[in-house]
Amino acid sequence: MTPGHSAAGRSAANLRVTGHGPGAPGKFIEAVDLSLSFGSTPALRGASLGVAKGEIVAVMGPSGSGKSTLLHCLAGILVPSSGEVHFNGMRLDRLSDDKRSALRRDRFGFVFQSGQLVPELTAEENVALPLLLSGMRRGPAMAAARTWFPTLGLDGLESRRSGELSGGQAQRVALARGLVAGPEVLFADEPTGALDSVSGELVMNLLVTAAREQGTTVVLVTHDARVAAYADREVVVRDGTVSTLTGAKP
Amino acid sequence: MSGAGTLERDAGRPGLNGPGTVGLGLRLAVNGGREAVTRLVILAVAVGLGVGLLLTAVAATNAVTAWNNRHAWFWTGTQQAAPGPATARGGQQSAPLWWHPTSDIYDGQTISRFDVAATGASSPVPPGLSHDPAPGTYYASPALAALLRSVPADQLADRYPGHLAGIIGDAALPSPSSLVIVVGRTPAQLATAVGSVKVTAIATTMPNGGGGNGAISSARNGPRQRSQANFNPNGLRYTPADIGIPASGSDLILSVVALAILLPVLIFIGTATRLSAARREERFAAMRLVGATRTQVSALATVESTAAAVAGVAAGFAVFSGLRIPVAGIPFVAQPFFPGELTLSLFDVIVVAVGVPAAAAVAARLALRRVNISPLGVTRRVTPKPPGAWRVVPLLLGLAELGFWAGHGHPASIQGQIQAFVTSFALIITGLFIAGPWLTMAAARLMARRTSRPGTLIAARRIGDDPRAAFRSVSGLVLALLVTTVATIAIATQDAKNPTRFGNVAESHVLTAQISASSAAAENGGLGARSGIANPGPAAPAAPLAARLSAVPGVQGVLVVRAVPGLTIPGRFENLGVNEFGVNADGSGPPVPAGVVSCAQLATVPALGRCPAGAATAKFPADGFNGPLGFNSKVDTYTWPAADVPAAGLPALGVDGIDMATNGATATVERARTLLEASVYPTVSPPSSYADIAARDNSQNSGYQQLANVVIGVSLVIAGCTLAAGIAAGLAERKRPFSLLRLTGARLSTLRGVVALEGAVPLLTVAVVAIGTGFGAAAMYATEAQNRPMAAPGLAYYLLTAGGIIVSLAIIAATFPILTRITGPETARND
Repeated sequence: MTPGHSAAGRSAANLRVTGHGPGAPGKFIEAVDLSLSFGSTPALRGASLGVAKGEIVAVMGPSGSGKSTLLHCLAGILVPSSGEVHFNGMRLDRLSDDKRSALRRDRFGFVFQSGQLVPELTAEENVALPLLLSGMRRGPAMAAARTWFPTLGLDGLESRRSGELSGGQAQRVALARGLVAGPEVLFADEPTGALDSVSGELVMNLLVTAAREQGTTVVLVTHDARVAAYADREVVVRDGTVSTLTGAKP
Repeated sequence: MSGAGTLERDAGRPGLNGPGTVGLGLRLAVNGGREAVTRLVILAVAVGLGVGLLLTAVAATNAVTAWNNRHAWFWTGTQQAAPGPATARGGQQSAPLWWHPTSDIYDGQTISRFDVAATGASSPVPPGLSHDPAPGTYYASPALAALLRSVPADQLADRYPGHLAGIIGDAALPSPSSLVIVVGRTPAQLATAVGSVKVTAIATTMPNGGGGNGAISSARNGPRQRSQANFNPNGLRYTPADIGIPASGSDLILSVVALAILLPVLIFIGTATRLSAARREERFAAMRLVGATRTQVSALATVESTAAAVAGVAAGFAVFSGLRIPVAGIPFVAQPFFPGELTLSLFDVIVVAVGVPAAAAVAARLALRRVNISPLGVTRRVTPKPPGAWRVVPLLLGLAELGFWAGHGHPASIQGQIQAFVTSFALIITGLFIAGPWLTMAAARLMARRTSRPGTLIAARRIGDDPRAAFRSVSGLVLALLVTTVATIAIATQDAKNPTRFGNVAESHVLTAQISASSAAAENGGLGARSGIANPGPAAPAAPLAARLSAVPGVQGVLVVRAVPGLTIPGRFENLGVNEFGVNADGSGPPVPAGVVSCAQLATVPALGRCPAGAATAKFPADGFNGPLGFNSKVDTYTWPAADVPAAGLPALGVDGIDMATNGATATVERARTLLEASVYPTVSPPSSYADIAARDNSQNSGYQQLANVVIGVSLVIAGCTLAAGIAAGLAERKRPFSLLRLTGARLSTLRGVVALEGAVPLLTVAVVAIGTGFGAAAMYATEAQNRPMAAPGLAYYLLTAGGIIVSLAIIAATFPILTRITGPETARND
C-alpha cells in the first residue's frame, strides 16, 4: 500500500496562491465565509473551502491559525457564528446537535493526534466502537473490526489495551476505528503529530490507500508539509482565512 | 562574574528547608488553582465527615457510660450495693433514711419509685433533691411531672400519696425521659412496709456487673443466673426496674454502628485523595525536573494532605457539634440522652486532633510510595494483578456451614447455636469482603463479553480493570446494609412475636397483680420485682376491690387467686427448652406452688384457662409471671384441676394475686393499675401485663431500629459520595478519549450511561447482595433463634433503603454536568 504520489515528487514551485474561496469542483463539502470566535479571540474570519467527493485535501497552517476550528466546523462539531456549511447538499450548520451527532456517527470518521482510544477497551473493541455506537450487534461489529487488523499490520494486537500499544500502533488502531464504519468523509486532525517520521509515513500511507480504496473523502489538518504532500490538494489557513494552494499534481 | 558567583552560591545552598517546604506545600494546596482548592475542599469535607462521625461515636460511648452510671442510686439499699458509711460528712453519726424502692408502669413505660422517710436532719438525700421530701409530698422527674399533669388522676396520680412538691433535678436522671418519683413518708409507715430498709448513704457507683441482665430480659424469660457480687447481705433482694444496659453490650452496638458508618467514610476519604492525583503527580514530576529531591516531594505531599486533614478535623468538630443534639435524641438505649452527656474528654479531643492529621501524613507518604515520580514523569510501580479465585473460598465455607446447620438442624445447646451462627455469619461477612473484588471482576468480564452496548462495554471494562477499586468504593455498604437488614428483620420479628410471645392477644391484655410470692425461691422479675414475701395479703378487702375493678370500663373479668400454703400442681413449661430446669419433652416439669380460684371468676377471664366441668373451684398457679403462666403459650386451652375448697370458703383465704381481663385500652389498664396500687395490697411487682413487657421491649427495639435507620441512610449517602468522587476522578483520567468519542458522534447519553453504570452497577449489586444475605441470615436467625417465621421489615425500611439508594444515584448523576463540561470540543483541539 503506497500513496498514489510521493511528497518528493512535488515542489513549492508547482504551487500558486489563487486567493480566498472554495476553489474545488463538486463541492461534496463546502464551507462558505465562516466566522467563529472563542471569547474575544477570532478563530475563523470568513473562511471558505470546498472539497469534492473522494478528494483528499490537506489543511495546513501555523499553530493557532484556525485550521482545527475549520475542520470542526466542516464536521459539524462546532457551529460557526456566521457563514454556511454544506455537506452533500445539506445545510450542516442548521442541523440540530443530535442530527449533527448522528451524521458524525454514521457518515463521518475521525482520526486525531493522540489519546483517542478508550483506555479500558481492547484494540479490537476500540475499532468496533463506532459500529456499536451505531447500534450494530456485538458479534458482527467485532468481526468487522477484526478485518482491519491484518490490513493495517496489527495482527495479534487485537486484545491489547491502548497502554500496551506503541504510538504508531495506537494511531493505526485509531485509523481503523475512523474507517471501520465506511465513512463518506474522514476528518484527520494532525494524525501523525505524535509520531516519528517512519511511523507517520506508515500511517499516512495506510490512511490514503484505505481512503482511496473506499472512495472516502479526506480532510486532513496538518502543519507538516510531508504529510500534506499525500493530499490531492492543499489549502493554507492563516488568521482564520483560507488560501488555496493549487499545484500541478502528477 | 556576578553570574558565576550566583551559580556558585546556588550550588552551595542546602535547598528548600523544612519551613520552606511547609510554606510551599501550603501555597500549592491553598493557592494552586481551582483544581487544587477543589481537591483540598473535598478532602477536608470527607475528613470532616469522618472525624465528625468518629467524635459522635466516641461521645455516644461516653454518654452511654454516663447514662449507665446515673442509675447507680437506684441500687441504694439492695444487696448489690455497698451499705455506705455509718457517719455523714463531718464525722457525725448519720441519721438513717428509710428506703423503699419499687417500680411502676404507665402505658408500658417504667416508673422508678422510691418511698423515703428521713429520720433526722443528717439523713442522706437522693440526688437531684435539696432535701428529703416531707411526708405527704413527692418529687417527680420533669417527664413524670408532665405525665401527671396530662393524664387523669385516676389513671396515674392517685397511685401516689400527697401532692407534687417539686421537680427532681437532672443530676439524678439517666435521661430527660426518665420517669422517677421520690415519695415522702413517715418512718412509721415504712418501718412496717415489706421491702423497706434503712440506709446511711445513697449509692453512687454501679455495683459490679450492675448494668443489666435484669432489665433487658422479661420476667417470663425464665430463671437467670446472677453473677453480681453480693457484698451487702443486709440489703434488699431487689433489682431496680431501670438499671441501664450492660456496658459491654452498648459498646459492641456502638462499635458496630461506628464501623458501619466509619468504613464508608474512610473509603470516601481514600477515594477523594485520588481526585486530581494524576495532575498532582505530574506537578511533582515537574518539581523533580527542576531539582526537587524525593524527600522534598514527599514532604510537599505530606504538607498538602496534612493541611486538608487539619481543615477536616476542624470541620469534624463542627459536624460533631451539629450532630450532638440530634444524636442525643435517638433513643438507642430506649431513652434519649441529655445533650450535655454527649461530651468528649480532653484525651479524646487530643487523640483526634493530633492523630487524624498524623495519620493523614503517614497515609500520604505511603500513597506516594506506590508511584515513582521521576524528573521525566510518573510511573505506577504496581500494576494491579487480577484477584484470584481463591477469594471465594471463605464465602463458600460460610454458606456451606450455614447450609449444614439448615440441613442438619442447629446445635441443641444455646451456646452451640450462638457459636454456629456467629461463625457462619462472620465467615459470610468476611467472605463477602474478600470475595468482592473477584466477584466484581467476574461479573464485569461477563458483562463486557456479552454486551453490544458501547456504554456497558466501557463501564464493564473499567470496573473489570481494577475490580478492587470498584469494589472498595462500595464495600462499606456490605457491613452497613447486611447488619442493619438483619437487625431490622430481627426487630420486626421480635415485635411481631412480642404481643403473643407466650399466648394470644387476650392473654397479653390480662393485668396481673401478684400480691405475694408463694415461694421464697422465686427469682426477681425484671420489672422491679422483689421476692421473699411469703405472706399472702388480707382476705377481706378482696371482694370490694374486685367489685371496683369490675366496674372499670373495659375490664371484662376479675380473678382473685386465694392462697393455700403448701398446695402445688404439676408444672407446665412449654416455653422452656427440654432438659432446662427439669422440663420434660411434653412440657411437664416439677410441681409448682398453687392457689385456688373461683370457677365463676375464672370464666370471666377465659384467657387464663377453664375449670373442669361441674367444679366450683380449681387449683391455679401462684406466682403470676414468675410461675407457670410465664412459661406457657396456650393457657387459654388449659383445664386446671378441681380443688377441694368450697366456693363459699374462698373469701376467708388470703389473697395471692389478682388477674383482670381487659380490653387492652390504656385508660382501662391504667385505671385498674391505679386502683390496685392504691389498695391495701402490697404487690411484689407493679400490676402488669404481657403487653407492658412487649411495649418496653418494643421501645428498646425502636431505639435500635432508629439507629439502624441512621446507619442505612448515612452509609448509602456516603457510598454515593464515594462513587461520585471515584467517577469524577475517573472522568478526569479519561477526559480526552471521552471528549473525542463525543466529537465523533457518540451521544452524550451513551457517555452518561457509562458514568451511571460505573457507579450504579457496583452500588446496586452490593446493595442487593448485602440485603439478600441479610434477609437470608435474618430468616435463619428468626427460625432458629427466635422460634418464629421471619417477619418482613416495615414499610419504613424499604422506603429508607430505596430512598438512600435513590439519593446515592442522584449524587452519582450529579457528575453528569462534569461529563458535559469536560467533553466539550475544546478538549480535542490540537492547535
